[in-house]
Amino acid sequence: MKRTNIVGAVAFAAVVTMAGCNANPKDAAGPGGSTTAVHKGGTLTILTAASDVNFDPAKSQTLATTSLGLVLRRLTTWDIEPGKPAKVVPDLATDTGRASDGGKTWTFTLKDGLKYADGTAITAADVKYGVERSFAPELSGGLSYHKSLLVGGADYKGPYAGGDLSSIDTPDPRTIVFHLKTSYGDWPWIASMPAFTPVPKAKDDPKTYAQHPVASGPYQVASYQQGVAVKLTRNPNWDAHSDPVRTGGPDQVVFQLGQDTTVQAQRLIADFGADKSAFGAGFVPPAQLVQVQQNAAAKQRLVTSDAGALAYLAINTQRGPLKDLKVRQAIEYAVDKRAFQVASGGAIGGDLATTLITPGIAGRAEYNLYPADPTGDVAKAKQLLSEAGQPSLNLTLLSQNDQQSLAQAQAVQQGLQRAGITVTIKPVDETAWTAAATGDQGDYDLTVSSWQPDFPSANGNIQPLFASNQIGGGGYNLSRYSQPEVDTLIDQATAETDPAKAQALWAQADKRILQDAPVVPLIYTKNSFLHGSNVQNFFVASFPAYPNYLKVSLKQR
Amino acid sequence: MRALRLVSGRLLSMLVTLLAISLLTYAVFYLLPADPAQLSCGRPCTPQRLADARAFMGYDESWFRQYLDFLGGLVGGRTFGSGVAAVHCAAPCFGYSFRLNESVTQLILDRIPVTFSIALGAALLWLLIGVGAGMVSAVRRGTPVDRAAMTFSTVGVSAPSYLVGLLAILLFGFTLNMVPVSGYVPLTEDPVQWLWHLVLPWCVLALLSAAVYARLTRGQMLEVLGEDYIRTARAKGLGERRVIGWHALRNVLIPIVTVFGLDLGSLLGGAVITERVFSMSGLGALLLDAVGNIDLPLIVGVTLFSAFLIILANFLVDLLYGVLDPRATR
Repeated sequence: MKRTNIVGAVAFAAVVTMAGCNANPKDAAGPGGSTTAVHKGGTLTILTAASDVNFDPAKSQTLATTSLGLVLRRLTTWDIEPGKPAKVVPDLATDTGRASDGGKTWTFTLKDGLKYADGTAITAADVKYGVERSFAPELSGGLSYHKSLLVGGADYKGPYAGGDLSSIDTPDPRTIVFHLKTSYGDWPWIASMPAFTPVPKAKDDPKTYAQHPVASGPYQVASYQQGVAVKLTRNPNWDAHSDPVRTGGPDQVVFQLGQDTTVQAQRLIADFGADKSAFGAGFVPPAQLVQVQQNAAAKQRLVTSDAGALAYLAINTQRGPLKDLKVRQAIEYAVDKRAFQVASGGAIGGDLATTLITPGIAGRAEYNLYPADPTGDVAKAKQLLSEAGQPSLNLTLLSQNDQQSLAQAQAVQQGLQRAGITVTIKPVDETAWTAAATGDQGDYDLTVSSWQPDFPSANGNIQPLFASNQIGGGGYNLSRYSQPEVDTLIDQATAETDPAKAQALWAQADKRILQDAPVVPLIYTKNSFLHGSNVQNFFVASFPAYPNYLKVSLKQR
Repeated sequence: MRALRLVSGRLLSMLVTLLAISLLTYAVFYLLPADPAQLSCGRPCTPQRLADARAFMGYDESWFRQYLDFLGGLVGGRTFGSGVAAVHCAAPCFGYSFRLNESVTQLILDRIPVTFSIALGAALLWLLIGVGAGMVSAVRRGTPVDRAAMTFSTVGVSAPSYLVGLLAILLFGFTLNMVPVSGYVPLTEDPVQWLWHLVLPWCVLALLSAAVYARLTRGQMLEVLGEDYIRTARAKGLGERRVIGWHALRNVLIPIVTVFGLDLGSLLGGAVITERVFSMSGLGALLLDAVGNIDLPLIVGVTLFSAFLIILANFLVDLLYGVLDPRATR
């Protein structure tokens, strides 16, 4: 433990030094990277610290544009391009779904001639079966938004327990119809989740499907060695014309598993041999970020997102003086966002935030309800506290106990101290933090968290963090914020099937929530990734702030 | 007969110790605030889905009931769920990792070659270097050789393995490009590449551990060299090599074997830091991964297996005492 701390302290000192130098990689490779013509061929290596790539769509929480997307297609998917907001586009389906019955029924038609890697046809029944098996307790663990939305979903236990889910119809081999309990305008996004991957019933062995899925994307799993490597080779029956979002550049993709993030970064900085055709799936550690700044060649290969998850200070609105709006507003002004940014790695760690909906999400409106200098407005905060009859306060801040979280918590602590708010930091490990922050008790005044939506709709920014039914029980409404007006607004926006109208409602909810000051938006965190010199079309958009694996290719050698 | 009683007594105590460790691991795990079923429930997770996941994984029972099921699985195997999706874990079932879709027994068996390759090679190296350096230091006490060896060992004792590993990778891997920086090649696949990939981890582990053995050997050797029987051996006209290499070393080895047994046992259970730095998927990396993902069956299984190796090594050391010093068995 002591050794880890020493290494961590060195890394942290390096980050602070770098922040002081105002290091910013934007001039290195352009914002988020760029794209060029795709060359076919070569072996792309993806270095990851994970010991496993789970290809069972029912158990997967991966983004549509990362590992699973190389092998498996869904009804819809994400079109992610540098500098553009994320867009939902058809994948196996001909369109992003047709709503009827006021948004309670959604119909999709499969493209003609789609085949699995083994040459058999992909049918609507396979998509239905894929969704059904995600309900099985044996395969729990994946993204589950659809389970509470489909009629009868709450009680359905999956196909292994017998029976099918009657709220999914497949009137013919190419048509699939979903019947929802309520209107849900973001269903096209839900249909892009891993569970909406076709799974042929005859080939389903739930015990081994994670290693041997039936491929529908440009690649198939050729070999799988848990903890060591996963090798993907071309799917001979993938039709590029039916799949505009995947370029299928490399002939092979190899995931090297269990790679230490520091060694990963060192390998990519060194850029030797096969590592020239590799990229790191994890963030570049702070110490290596500093190293990259001093290495012109490596700096060219560093790609940093424009934005990413929202880091925020959650104020427990159900605790003592924090029930008072004026006290919460005082905290909005007292927080030193600049200090938090420095503690997060400086400008490369993220840009200052003022809104709840993150950059890269369609419909986001830029505004600032609490305008102040980046270091805060202490005088205004003191005035609000005085008006609230709370000239001095003692609060507890629940924090994770890793080096960076503690540094961030201390930045908040020092900022609030200037306004007479004494903060005691309660450091706990990650699992204890999750249990305390998302549990029913809510025994904390403040906590720092960050959130990136599971799907690129403002719904994913707002509903999980501020709907009153997300308080406790594992939910992420960490402010324990309950406002009937906001709940109604969330329900209206959720039900709206017109994207433009829905986006306007979400933007309205964003502002309405911050009027109640349940959280202080701190920064839109940025993620930095490294790739080898032979890798091209490697970019990181604002959402998701991760590389788009589906577009990466290799240069001609 | 006495030896048989000794062995059976030790075997029984090994079994009791292993049971105590497994019970303790279960109990400690359940004191943690994290819920493994919650982590496997998916997102978002409803109370009903959580209850279903908990029931399938067997976490809906009391921790003691689960512990008894675990012990039952060791003897008779276990089946989770029912129907086509049922998962059977054959005896001896150390549990089933629902995250990795594999029995813990199989996961451990898959990782053993990696960890054993690292541990056995490194142990041989550090024993040779450590004991050799300690002996030379003791025999040449006060000379520059002695001072150099002890300075080197002080550095080795105090250096963190993570840092030494990274520095070694930077120097020998990236700067000099002499050895591979990560990965493991099975011995059966390519013996030369197996050796080549293991050179650096062996040297790093040996550097760190040899230092302890050098200091221990030096101290013991200096003490033994002052004993009457050494003087007697010299007076009888035995050569210095025979006196040191046979009469002195034999007594010096007793504490060294004790420490070596424990060190090797714990290293066989997983060289956590070394495996991580060199991206080798051994038992240490498996345990680290299990802890990070609150994979209870895997944590219990690997912990128990590591404990078994340490206890076994201790047992073998006890037997070796009898060979090195027959008085120990009386």
